[in-house]
Amino acid sequence: MNSAVFEIGKFARLTLLWLCIIFGAVWGVSWSIGVLLPAVILSQSGESGRFWAQLLQALVPVVAVALFVPLNTCYMVLAERRLLALFTVRKGPNRVGPDGAFQTVADALKLLLKEEITPRGADLLMYTLAPVIFFAPSIIGVMPLLAAVSGNHPLFTPVNLPTGVFYILAVSSIPVVGVVMGGWASNNKYSLVGALRSAAQAISYEIPLLLSIITVCLLAGTLDFVQIADNQRGSLLNWNILGGGALTHLGIGSPWWSIAAALLLAACCILLFALYVICACAEVNRTPFDLPEAESELVSGFNTEYSGIKFAIFFLAEYTNLFIVSTFAAVMFLGGGHAPFPGLEDACISGLRGLLAAWFGACTPFQLGWLVNSLVNPATVSQVFWIIVKSYALVWFASLIRATLPRLRIDQLMDYSWKRLVPLALILLIAVTFLKELV
Amino acid sequence: MVPEMTEELRANKLKTDEMLINMGPQHPATHGVLRLILKLDGELVKHCEPVVGHLHRAQEWQGQNRTWFQYQALIDRVDYLSGMFTSWALARAAEKIDDVKVPLRAEYMRVIVAEMNRLTSHLLWLGTFGIDLGAMMGLPFYPFREREELLDLLEAIAGQRMMFNYIRIGGVQNEAPPGWFARLFKFTGSFPDRIDEYEAILSNNPIFLKRTKAVGILPRKLAIDYGVTGPTLRASGVALDLRKVKPYSVYDRLDFAVPVCNRDGDTYDRYMCRIIEMHESNKIIRQCIEQIPGGTADVLREKRKACSACGKANCPHCGGDLAIMVKKQNAGLRVKAGEGFAAVESPRGVLGCYIISTGSDTAYRIKWRNPSFSNLAVLPELLLDHQIADIMAIFGSIDVILPDVDR
Amino acid sequence: MLGMVGRAAEGFYQVCRGLWTVFKHSGRPPTTKEFPDVMPELPGAFRGRLALAVNPETGEHLCISCRQCERVCPDKCIDITAHKSPQTGKLELIDFKIDHGLCMFCGLCTEVCPTSCIINTSDFEMSEYSRGALIYDLKRLTLSQEESAYYFAKKDLPPPKPKAKPAPKPEAAGDAGESLAQQPSDVSQQPGPKAEE
Ligand code: SF4
Ligand code: SF4
Repeated sequence: MNSAVFEIGKFARLTLLWLCIIFGAVWGVSWSIGVLLPAVILSQSGESGRFWAQLLQALVPVVAVALFVPLNTCYMVLAERRLLALFTVRKGPNRVGPDGAFQTVADALKLLLKEEITPRGADLLMYTLAPVIFFAPSIIGVMPLLAAVSGNHPLFTPVNLPTGVFYILAVSSIPVVGVVMGGWASNNKYSLVGALRSAAQAISYEIPLLLSIITVCLLAGTLDFVQIADNQRGSLLNWNILGGGALTHLGIGSPWWSIAAALLLAACCILLFALYVICACAEVNRTPFDLPEAESELVSGFNTEYSGIKFAIFFLAEYTNLFIVSTFAAVMFLGGGHAPFPGLEDACISGLRGLLAAWFGACTPFQLGWLVNSLVNPATVSQVFWIIVKSYALVWFASLIRATLPRLRIDQLMDYSWKRLVPLALILLIAVTFLKELV
Repeated sequence: MVPEMTEELRANKLKTDEMLINMGPQHPATHGVLRLILKLDGELVKHCEPVVGHLHRAQEWQGQNRTWFQYQALIDRVDYLSGMFTSWALARAAEKIDDVKVPLRAEYMRVIVAEMNRLTSHLLWLGTFGIDLGAMMGLPFYPFREREELLDLLEAIAGQRMMFNYIRIGGVQNEAPPGWFARLFKFTGSFPDRIDEYEAILSNNPIFLKRTKAVGILPRKLAIDYGVTGPTLRASGVALDLRKVKPYSVYDRLDFAVPVCNRDGDTYDRYMCRIIEMHESNKIIRQCIEQIPGGTADVLREKRKACSACGKANCPHCGGDLAIMVKKQNAGLRVKAGEGFAAVESPRGVLGCYIISTGSDTAYRIKWRNPSFSNLAVLPELLLDHQIADIMAIFGSIDVILPDVDR
Repeated sequence: MLGMVGRAAEGFYQVCRGLWTVFKHSGRPPTTKEFPDVMPELPGAFRGRLALAVNPETGEHLCISCRQCERVCPDKCIDITAHKSPQTGKLELIDFKIDHGLCMFCGLCTEVCPTSCIINTSDFEMSEYSRGALIYDLKRLTLSQEESAYYFAKKDLPPPKPKAKPAPKPEAAGDAGESLAQQPSDVSQQPGPKAEE
């Protein structure tokens, strides 16, 4: 027993280390080019520097994402391997760096240095373009989420769109083009079968996914991420997974049908969440829906022939997509950056504020105090913290699923989507529309 | 020239070509080096042709060019997942020719190690079956953990983990080391719970049921026609288990059940058969440990110390049935002239060995009857009109091991 | 409709049971053996690299050049060079070569050796950069006195008789093999000194 606890402790340590690296880096860089540099420029050149200062500030979201994606993938791959190791009574990679923390960095370097092989007869242009097309949407798609993740921090407000949800859904259907291109261009029958499977799967699972998201949007009454997240402020009961506040409106005097409707609504929303998780698994090709790369059948599916940096890009995109759907779920269903219990969030913020005051209180009169305050905004920290916890909890759950479930067959996959999930999604859509009015 | 529009063509105007795909010999799921030439219509298998022989090592020929003593060490490699059974088949055939009565204690030892070997083989099968179905991470490792314990035990008694060279003509190689029986007994105590855990993951999982139920149905008649044996046959409703129908060794003294499915077996039935067989093997091992004449090795060792060199032929501690070998082997081991066939029930089916001996120190002719070979032969029939994904489910469920096919 | 809901619920329950079983395993001790850091404890019967033992007490080489092992080896990977010493008229070992690249570690040679000279050690790390380096000669094969003592204890072999009296011709290799094989191989539970280290 002891050694297992030891392993879990090691995993926790490693997670802390990596989260510090990822978010420290992103935070620091965003702050330096979004706050520090513009401040310096403005103080040096006054009004004439305003253009440059604004340009730098506009660049912040792009730089943040570009930095975040590879770092986060490094951590996620490592975390998944360690988690799978825990689930399968092993130890996992623990050689490179402390506790094997830099194993994935080493792997990434290895992949970048590896020879790139293009199979004979491959369509070179498509073959090269496929990973790019597969990967680009993850970078573009993650943008509107940034505002919600950072609690509408002024630096990230510009990327928030009033129709952010639709934007993400539109963008997220692009990667399948990359998969089909890659599979076709590889001149390999396994790749081709994998790519075609992927196309079929993406089309069938997009529909219930969309329907479930639309239902949540209906419930929330907006397509704006920041607003959706804000609507769920308060406590667990306000989260969309429990009916988006339907339960909190109930009082002693509520009529019975209102109570019943609220309870039913909550049940419907839990089902919606389950629906979303299933479809999201299929969208990002995770077990039990990993047919496009079904290892035991199709060798490695659409990326059989890819090696070196192109394979690395596929890999990067896959894990980024997993993270995006997790964050998406956290924002849409699990209350975004808000704590699960009333008061907890305020406690977080005031505690942090107190801590800051204690540490940097002495500096307040000086410039440094301002800098620190602009660097660490307690409200933002609390938001980011909760959203990280929720997203990685979902990633953890995806790993657990991966460790357990076998894979569906392609026809069963289709059956499942068209005959079970789509009707369920439609029923839920109608049910939620009515119940929402009743509450 | 425009092809004539037949009724059939009109019905489905969109005509697609069949795709020829070469699965293996290097494919992650063909369990070694099997090559399947598949004709696919979309995802449907229209034709399948297994190409075997990539692992041919002339095991039969080697028997005619090595002395008996040397050949015993080689035949573990025929079926490397169940080496005990190949040794046992050879030993039984040779003993039949030689008219040797193997001491009872040796027979019990043989049953114990063989059933352990059956467990390791089934455990490995369970893990790889999980992989075949796409349960990539969780399932493979739990059976392997148990297999590791068993292999450690086998290593302690036989010297190696897979190439045991333990069952010899006339007995077994050596006594168990101290503490071995206690370890084994402890393992058998906790093992059924472990099997239940595997079952909790897989047996009732809806995805697993969808993937295996009514997939790859092997009708009784077809199975008999192709000479399929082992759990694959029993899942199709034929109660052929040599341990029951023609009890050899001490199987007639043991109480165990042979799972037989009373309908045309599908992939799920074959899975279930093996799971139940693991329970039964575990039971057999426990019974053997309790029944073994002379008690466990530690007990016997103590008793023997007390009456060292009493010299009596049937001393209750050191004589007669308590030996582990009729006559110690040496390099000049010979088998009398004659011919004989003996078969054992290996994890994959009936494993037979046919020997012609001229009385010299090498065999004149040795022929193996390998279960995997016949079981593999039925694969093309099973795969017809199934999906690509089912290939692996079905192939995994008939539990073929390629070196056994190719010898 | 109701049946469908029932089946869905049942399926959901079963999936959860599977997930829970897997999750439970994260609290179980890992089975990983961190090999180069932690050496495995191998049983005495383990058939690893071959070596020639010396008499643990006197340090004499135990091989009497009887060539039993050379003859029995299925792979023909033992090569013994010996000659009759002109002074004493006894067989004298000049060189002993084992090609570990060919050897399949069947242990037959150790079973037939009349003096328990050739033994399987617990060493299994024998990677080399060339095949030639896998051919071990007499010097690399011969164990030191302590190592021999360790393996004699671990394998529970009968202590060799000192060579003082003229070694009898190994007339009955079988008999000697018998006494060898009847001895139960022993898993030494005590952490003995690691011979290779
Ligand atoms: S172990 Fe076997 S193969 Fe190796 S040298 Fe001895 S007899 Fe030959
Ligand atoms: S059998 Fe033993 S004594 Fe004889 S030559 Fe071989 S090692 Fe030497």
